Amino acid sequence: MAIENINGCIGCGICVQTCPTDVIRLDPKTKKAIIKYPADCQICHLCRMYCPVDAISITPEKSIPVIVSWG
Amino acid sequence: MTNVNTKNEMSRRKFMGLAGGAIGMATLASMGIPGWAANKIKIDPESLEYLEKETDVLVIGGGMAGLFAAVKAHDAGAKALMVSKGRLGSSGQTPFAKGIFAYDPSTAAMTLDEFTATVSRSALGSNNSVYTKQMAEHSLARVNELKDWGFFDSALYNKSFSKPINERNIPLLERIVITNLIKENGKIAGAAGFSLDEEKVYIFKAKSVILCTGAGGFKPNGFPICDLTHDGTIMAYNIGAKVTGKEWNDGHPGQATNAAACYDGWHGMFERKPSVNGIEVHHDLGVDLNYMAYTNGNPVQMGPPGAGESNPISGGPYIPAEFNRMSSDKPKDGPEDGKKPPRGERPEKGGKPGEGDAPPGMGGTSVGGSSAGMSIHKSEGLVPINDKCESTIPGLYAAGDALGSYMAGAIYTQIGSSLAGSAVQGAIAGEAAAVYSESANTPVISKAKIKALQEEMLAPLHREAGYSPAWVTQTLQGIMIPNFVLYVKKESMLKAALAYVEELRDHHAPMLRAADLHELRLVHETKNMIATAEMKLKASILRKESRCSHYRLDYPELDNENWQAWINIFKDEEGNMQFEKQAFNSWPNENLFHQI
Repeated sequence: MAIENINGCIGCGICVQTCPTDVIRLDPKTKKAIIKYPADCQICHLCRMYCPVDAISITPEKSIPVIVSWG
Repeated sequence: MTNVNTKNEMSRRKFMGLAGGAIGMATLASMGIPGWAANKIKIDPESLEYLEKETDVLVIGGGMAGLFAAVKAHDAGAKALMVSKGRLGSSGQTPFAKGIFAYDPSTAAMTLDEFTATVSRSALGSNNSVYTKQMAEHSLARVNELKDWGFFDSALYNKSFSKPINERNIPLLERIVITNLIKENGKIAGAAGFSLDEEKVYIFKAKSVILCTGAGGFKPNGFPICDLTHDGTIMAYNIGAKVTGKEWNDGHPGQATNAAACYDGWHGMFERKPSVNGIEVHHDLGVDLNYMAYTNGNPVQMGPPGAGESNPISGGPYIPAEFNRMSSDKPKDGPEDGKKPPRGERPEKGGKPGEGDAPPGMGGTSVGGSSAGMSIHKSEGLVPINDKCESTIPGLYAAGDALGSYMAGAIYTQIGSSLAGSAVQGAIAGEAAAVYSESANTPVISKAKIKALQEEMLAPLHREAGYSPAWVTQTLQGIMIPNFVLYVKKESMLKAALAYVEELRDHHAPMLRAADLHELRLVHETKNMIATAEMKLKASILRKESRCSHYRLDYPELDNENWQAWINIFKDEEGNMQFEKQAFNSWPNENLFHQI
């Protein structure tokens, strides 16, 4: 996992806008940020640096879900 | 295009036939059997709202070039509108660029002409000296404007970029993916795209368009370019613009450990406030390091003189002695009087201790290929016809990494000039586009054209089955990223890779599927990467010599008789990819080129 977790999100949506690769979205029900497309994370930390409440923690490892052959 | 589309339809029919037809596929999905190719659609493509916007100057891209393009177009009296795939100052490579060059005539150790000549020597003539000089000449003025906006006060650029945009009330649309440029009657007429957040399709009618869309790569691991897929270049190519510079390679290494972690590879540099640096001309980031890694096996060694250079090898890319960090200090390629020219001052070390200042390859074990698919900054993109960043299509401009200005040449020369060049060219293009718009009419785009664009844009959402963009991208990466394809080149491997890429182009790209707007973006990015791969391979096959960041194992020498020329790429009326040579340091309208 690249973005490890989002803890204490206030739902401002800045991380959603900030992510160059569109990894984060606001959950339509909870209105909080969720890691929607983790495979596309380039581990650049912009979301973490822009988060106004330091809610995002990131690890340097990345595992991409196995993609089915020919899929 | 017609040919390709016909082929696509054939491929699709064949595919559906093989898979048991549409009914069979739908049945599989409805039975709950994981149909691997079924498109589990999450939005209704028929329900997308349609919006039209009109402006004088449409700026596409929200990085350093886009910022200045929008501001200067506005200040020159035009109605400007900015649209970006990401957020202002937070997408592309701009957020990660921490050094900006400024040529200060009151303190510089050399004149503008000496500086330009030094860059030309390092670039082995491959630079456009008009753009080299222009960058230096205007750099200080742009740096001073950035200072006023607070650019140097924060590691994050959104706030300082927003200041001049908000002060001028320039409309800004973020997270809009532009998929097509629109041309009517031989001139630019606008662009089309869709929103990532709202189910909306946008048609922009514009008198002029400035592409500030950056360059791109193949979404390689370890370099922050994974949102850059040459979108602007390929969109412009598709409407007939000439593009250039596809055979050159950025040679940045990445880390062997946690290879995907851009932030960690740059050792915290992204947290640093930007800083200004003076003249320091290099011949860097070519394939010399990657050639050593290829020959000796990994790791890649990089860094200042003396850092891991104990084991130099013979052969490999030619580096002018004047700029060779590994050879003795005696210049062989200097000016005629034999005096070593000033290479410049040492740059100020940016940031405070502990803030991080080591780029990739300095510290830890490094491996090559982290920026695979990217050329040298400013050396790929649209062919300019003059020093105003104007492309071969009237009304279409490009600036920064989207413009093949050859400002630096086919190798990295001046430190910090990438960011400075984007600022300078953005401003030049903004002013030029504003002047062009004064005498241009608001374009009329036919309803039939808009309908066709919309259908093409949204087609992947309509597919009941097909290939996921993630799989096709991974397949493309497997073909293009190995060091024996783009870094250490030879004809047999380039042709082999091309056969694979043509297969993806003809058979897989037409069947890319998207379940939502995120995937729709990935589909368009994947198509752009496939087109880029074809250009890179074909241009690399054509250039039968080695120069700067293009290294051919089968043609290791410079060929000054035949190859003091750039390679332009364009689409002919039948939709075929064509190539021509344009003499170094010339303009297209000087006719110093011929078909190859």
